[in-house]
Amino acid sequence: MNEAADVIVVGGGSTGCGVVRDLARRGLDAVLVEKGNLTHGTTGRMHGLLHSGGRYAVSDRKSARECIEENRVLRDIASHCVEETGGMFVKRPEDDEEYFQEKLEGCRACDIPVEVIDGEEARRREPYLARDVEKAIVVPDAAVDPFRLCVANAADAHEHGARIETHAEVVDVLIEDGAVVGVAVEHRSGPGKRVHRKPGTREEIRADYVVNATGAWAGQLGDMAGVDVEVRPSKGVMTVMNTRQVDTAINRCRPKGDADIIVPHETACILGTTDEEVTDPEDYPEEEWEVDLMIETLSELVPVLKEARTLRSFWGVRPLYEPPGTGTDDPTDITRDYFLLDHDERDDLPGMTSIVGGKLTTYRMMAESITDHVCEKLDHEATCDTAEAPLPGSDDFSVLRDYMEEFGVRSPIGRRSVQRLGSRADDVLNGTDPNPVVCECEGVTRAEVQDGIDAAGSDLNAVRIRTRASMGNCQGGFCTHRIAAELAQQYPEPVVRDAEDELYQERWKGQRHALWGRQLSQTMLNHLLHATTMNRDGDPAGLDGDVAFDAFDAGPGTDAASGTGSPDGTAATDGGVDGDR
Amino acid sequence: MTRDTGDDGTGGSDGQDATGDDTGDTRSPEPGVPRVGRDEQPSVFVPDAGAEGDETVAGAEGDEVVAGAEGDETDASAVSNTDRSGERLTDGGVESATGGTDSVELDPDAYDPVDVFAGGDLDLREGADSCYKCTSCDTSCPVAAVDDEFPGPKFQGPEQWRLKRKDDADIDDSITSCSNCMRCDDACPSSVPLSQMHNEARGQYVDEQMDKLSREYVRNRILSNYRFFANIASKTPRLANFAAGLPGAMWLGEKVLGIAGDREFPPFATQTFREWWGERGGAQVSDPDKRVAYFHGCYSNYNTPEVGKAMVRVYEHFGYEVMVPPQKCSGTPMFANGMLSDARRHAETNVENLIAAIGDGADVIASCTSCSMSLRQEYPELFDIHGIEDVAEHTFEAMEYLRIHEDLTGALAAGGLDEERAFAYHAPCHARNQGLARQAVETFRDVDGVTMEDVGDSCSGISGTYGWKKEKYETSMAIGAEMFDHMEDAEGEVGMTECPTCAMQMEHGTGYEIEHPLQLLAETLVD
Repeated sequence: MNEAADVIVVGGGSTGCGVVRDLARRGLDAVLVEKGNLTHGTTGRMHGLLHSGGRYAVSDRKSARECIEENRVLRDIASHCVEETGGMFVKRPEDDEEYFQEKLEGCRACDIPVEVIDGEEARRREPYLARDVEKAIVVPDAAVDPFRLCVANAADAHEHGARIETHAEVVDVLIEDGAVVGVAVEHRSGPGKRVHRKPGTREEIRADYVVNATGAWAGQLGDMAGVDVEVRPSKGVMTVMNTRQVDTAINRCRPKGDADIIVPHETACILGTTDEEVTDPEDYPEEEWEVDLMIETLSELVPVLKEARTLRSFWGVRPLYEPPGTGTDDPTDITRDYFLLDHDERDDLPGMTSIVGGKLTTYRMMAESITDHVCEKLDHEATCDTAEAPLPGSDDFSVLRDYMEEFGVRSPIGRRSVQRLGSRADDVLNGTDPNPVVCECEGVTRAEVQDGIDAAGSDLNAVRIRTRASMGNCQGGFCTHRIAAELAQQYPEPVVRDAEDELYQERWKGQRHALWGRQLSQTMLNHLLHATTMNRDGDPAGLDGDVAFDAFDAGPGTDAASGTGSPDGTAATDGGVDGDR
Repeated sequence: MTRDTGDDGTGGSDGQDATGDDTGDTRSPEPGVPRVGRDEQPSVFVPDAGAEGDETVAGAEGDEVVAGAEGDETDASAVSNTDRSGERLTDGGVESATGGTDSVELDPDAYDPVDVFAGGDLDLREGADSCYKCTSCDTSCPVAAVDDEFPGPKFQGPEQWRLKRKDDADIDDSITSCSNCMRCDDACPSSVPLSQMHNEARGQYVDEQMDKLSREYVRNRILSNYRFFANIASKTPRLANFAAGLPGAMWLGEKVLGIAGDREFPPFATQTFREWWGERGGAQVSDPDKRVAYFHGCYSNYNTPEVGKAMVRVYEHFGYEVMVPPQKCSGTPMFANGMLSDARRHAETNVENLIAAIGDGADVIASCTSCSMSLRQEYPELFDIHGIEDVAEHTFEAMEYLRIHEDLTGALAAGGLDEERAFAYHAPCHARNQGLARQAVETFRDVDGVTMEDVGDSCSGISGTYGWKKEKYETSMAIGAEMFDHMEDAEGEVGMTECPTCAMQMEHGTGYEIEHPLQLLAETLVD
């Protein structure tokens, strides 16, 4: 199958999803290709802070101003992805007073609304803060759900005619007559929605323009096109706590350093992070000391973290970029600004631009500027409306409703569902009856899971990022099979089995870094339950060879051929007529 | 949950114990939420309802810390600190947030996670950290077993709490279907503070979501404040009994208040226990080294003073000086109905008087297992009242206390009944939670003339006020069905239990007469 489009966007992170939405809304025929799920790369691996800009107010005022501007935009257009937690820059006695003042002035200079509170007031607002916290600067930080945000962008693009292909890895950049004319992709299954075991195809997609929005992977795509894109991937660890120790984003008020932020995220808290340059965005060590450092250092701000339960840890890679010749050694010193690299101007390769650097908070602004650039190249006149048009789910809605009455679900579950679905709540929750809870930890009902399946096929990790199902404290131990069972109406057993295994595996991946204390007990319980009830430690159906069932006899003293009577009291192989005696 | 009963309890002269009270409080001036689980939890705080909650907490905390560090107080308490901390260690206590009794310094690592939610409510989200979702609590829940609509203790406790955020006020109304039997506490292998989470959630639900003019609220307020009405009725017990027995009285109760019409009000005694005690001239044994303070609760006072009298006979037989301090309701029915402010008011009186008795060298004993449960577990979990920890540590069930301190088996070997009697014994859930489910059977099984048969580990289903509610009556009887069957099967035609409302249910379901183990103890030992 070959298809010609106006623009191909490579990369389904926040930038790519934002770009494809903007292109589609401006009337261009756009295709998004992503090698994994949406958010698969860096976007799904961040701490979920919607920056107020405060973090950059001293070192990088341009970024800070962009952050506060976009922070306001996203509260408006993506209200169902944003929780208005507020944030604090907290000063401990050993932290520099001068820096505190610089931070304050920086925020004011960047038009970031601030309030200074004393330690007592800070603890009144966040009772788990350490007693010796001296004071804090309150800023309008917020928590953003990157999964929901990307999915909503992609959904809006789709509604405006864009094609979204996940699990479609670019294997080549097509170049004809010295210009980029498209990409070749390998679909893992399909094209179309991912369905396990459905054979994938290779497809050449041709377009007038290609946008490289692959972030930390931009160098790899550049290689395929024969151009150098010097991204400097830098890894950072994030550790997920089981409950919310804080309901406000807590930042340490000091120049820079590892482990200086705690972001409340849905039911959990995310601790972050480290900053260390790596060579390959997909292959780098995930080290124990990094996790220890998070808990150790951040417990100076919130002592209870030392004893609180950790669910898992994950690592992400920042797509840092600096113009050639800058020569910065320390990745923390590299600018967080973004850059458009037009390969025509830069490398004499027309038809492709890479966008590198930047951060999630400013994804929309980045998307707008690259879309402007593409429109100019294509001579397409259209204005950008992504700063005003709400994303699907963020139309006016209220979470204050009688959930039991309306949707037949218990109030905390209804509240969570409506917070996740936003204005789509009525459509999604009213369709399914009965609507039992599938994931108990996060309060996700069948209706939401089915809605995810409708959008994502048999890919349960894609369902997970849409619903949060399996992201709670049992980490899928009690619900992967229930979620998989929701596939069984539409898909054959082997597909369901593969999908279940994949989700269970993904949940295990992060828990490997939390194997002590209570999460260790949880994983052990999960394993034993799955091993003893679902044969997950050695399922005959998953074994290579055939099991020689003939080799088993009916037990000592029985006539294996008869299969019924058991005169000596051993059980008959079929359980007998009186199986329970 | 059982508490260690290994400490000698009787030790310490008046003076030492009095200072002990003070240090008991400096030990944990900050309220805390469970870190590792209920068993390790020292003390939490529910301020009286009121908008000023936020400020009082912040203020009070600061004040107390300062007070603890003041010179004149530290000297006085320093001596007994060692005593007290030594004693506490045997109790499996956990380090307090300020670094223990020895520390008057502010520990920078300490935290005081109070009042995260508006209105002075507790933040118990952390308790969800201990939950592995294993569902043992749900399978042990008697209500969930018979009511498919009830989502069970795991949802009510750790799941609901974990889904909460600071600005959320809504608690699912299914919390009102929890009977507060507290079996989930006992079932949990991981010390999730389930009943504390339920109690707090129920309190928040009643405070913030329940219509204060609704029939349900008025009915629950009446039921949970049984003492108030019993007190009035006891002024003219015969009239009250006559009125309750009038045809149509229960019908009216059901129509007007939603009280289960099939039940019969328990008769009021013509003389309350306290009246009898006064008339008798109080204690007839005096021994400053062997004192107990009797927490009779409401039921033994107003309805079954024979239980209290039996307790006095038995304890005096063993040479104890019995004290009967002023007291109010233990709070059990109030917790079960989310009336935490009522419960706190009563608790203040109880703690004040019991702590005085403890200062006089007494331990507290209760004949009602729900009363002892409340003083031991719910008080320190829900309230931060001066001395409440000491009360919890010095409280015992009446027979438990004798089994610890006296040779009950030896004494009973000499006693016995002339005429054979057989009993169908039911262990109340709250006795079970204190580890006392087998004590009556173990105590009496070898006694001459007594046959004691355990009717199994099911819940009776009444759970205090629960089974009195019209809408809960059928659930209550469905839960009780197993116990009724087993009672019918048992040899004995007399029921036996420690809990007054279990006794009502046993009588209601089988028509048997029900006795308290203390009555049998008096009969076999003293009579």
